[in-house]
Amino acid sequence: MTTHEEFESLAALDAVGAATADEIATLRAHVDGCPSCAAAQAELAEAATLLARDLEPVQPPADVRSRVLAAVGQHVDEVALEDDDNVVRPFFNRWWWSAAAMLFLALWGWRELAVRAQREHIVTAEAEAKSLSEENARLQERNEKLSAEIASMAAAGTKTIALTGQTVAPSASARVFLEPEQRRAVVFFSDMPANAKDRSYQLWIIRADQPKPQSAGTFDVTQTGKASITVENLPVATEIKGLAVTLEPKGGVEQPTNTNFYVSGGV
Amino acid sequence: MTMNQTEQSTGLLAAVARGDAGAFEALYDRYSSMLYALLLRILGNAEDAQEVLQEAFVKVWTNARMFDAERGSEIAWLISITRSRGIDKLRSRKIRNERENDAGREVSIHVGFTDKTTGADHAIRSEEGTAVRGALAALPEAQRVALELAYFEGFSQSEIAERLGEPLGTIKTRMQLGMKKLRESLRAFQ
Repeated sequence: MTTHEEFESLAALDAVGAATADEIATLRAHVDGCPSCAAAQAELAEAATLLARDLEPVQPPADVRSRVLAAVGQHVDEVALEDDDNVVRPFFNRWWWSAAAMLFLALWGWRELAVRAQREHIVTAEAEAKSLSEENARLQERNEKLSAEIASMAAAGTKTIALTGQTVAPSASARVFLEPEQRRAVVFFSDMPANAKDRSYQLWIIRADQPKPQSAGTFDVTQTGKASITVENLPVATEIKGLAVTLEPKGGVEQPTNTNFYVSGGV
Repeated sequence: MTMNQTEQSTGLLAAVARGDAGAFEALYDRYSSMLYALLLRILGNAEDAQEVLQEAFVKVWTNARMFDAERGSEIAWLISITRSRGIDKLRSRKIRNERENDAGREVSIHVGFTDKTTGADHAIRSEEGTAVRGALAALPEAQRVALELAYFEGFSQSEIAERLGEPLGTIKTRMQLGMKKLRESLRAFQ
């Protein structure tokens, strides 16, 4: 089950446009019924604008302003023309003006209603198109992910590596399907202890060419003790010395804060 | 313009939603420079930036009623619409490929972003700019780069991982930690 903290992590990615279609769909479904996550999402979206607000303002050319105003119907000439039409002509009596005013108001009201309906129609159509497009992207992404996972496990060059439980979780284990050619790995964990809500498991790559381990992502384990994670863009196989999992603060850290490995193993 | 002023709603969008053309002009005059700078950063050329700026303001005019002050500030809503249009344009015209081929120009943009401005530049920067700069400068380089690649270049998590030669999980963690810090900075400003 996804926690509020995890939804906030998704909202952080969404705020800079980096969430996947699947993550966006998951997030939207949740925030609709969760005011606190909706507030966090709004705050993160606001925070992301700091990136734009850091830029030095640049004045656009003056003709852009004119084009914008023209595009939204600000025609100064039309206003001037309307003013000319307002000149009182003596041979028109009050009845004529009343009738003309009534007709004008009726036409104006009809036009406003039509414009409003058209605007609403456009907004609705845009929202529907966006929703369908997102759903399509989400399904396509899921399909690609499943296909990639199956391909990883079935590929001729796939190496299978066993990670074994360590002192803090002796019965835990993991199986890694490492596809060197695609630099991708799918890891299935079993009999892991469920993590607390404010913590995440983090998978680390221990590299032969670097002194510090490298994060390969975070994941959570529920009461079932099972979890899986797909790692993309791995270092080349010869650079991977081993893999290990630690328990870290929610959302992960840049470097491990402890050496209590839950599972680990050499490659 | 101070940070507090930008956080406050000017009420201009509400007036635009009622069809107030004067308010729309005031909105343009107030925010077009910031939004144009954003589009120049995303698209890298003035012609495209001007075209998208026009599209974005037309969208603001037609959709102003959808702005909800309870869910975010006026400026955040405007930036969101403009950025979204800019990224759409970037993708549709495959400007990204052109930019990658234009190595010299890429370097100059990058330097412009990482290099801090001179004392004279600082003097003309707005109060808000200085405060925001502090927030971004406080981010570790790796986190800032990952966030900028997503926000300005429209790259997906996987593309960023590929581009930086890092595992996807590392990139996700970096972006999440970076956003957490920006959020804390935003709270400090308010």
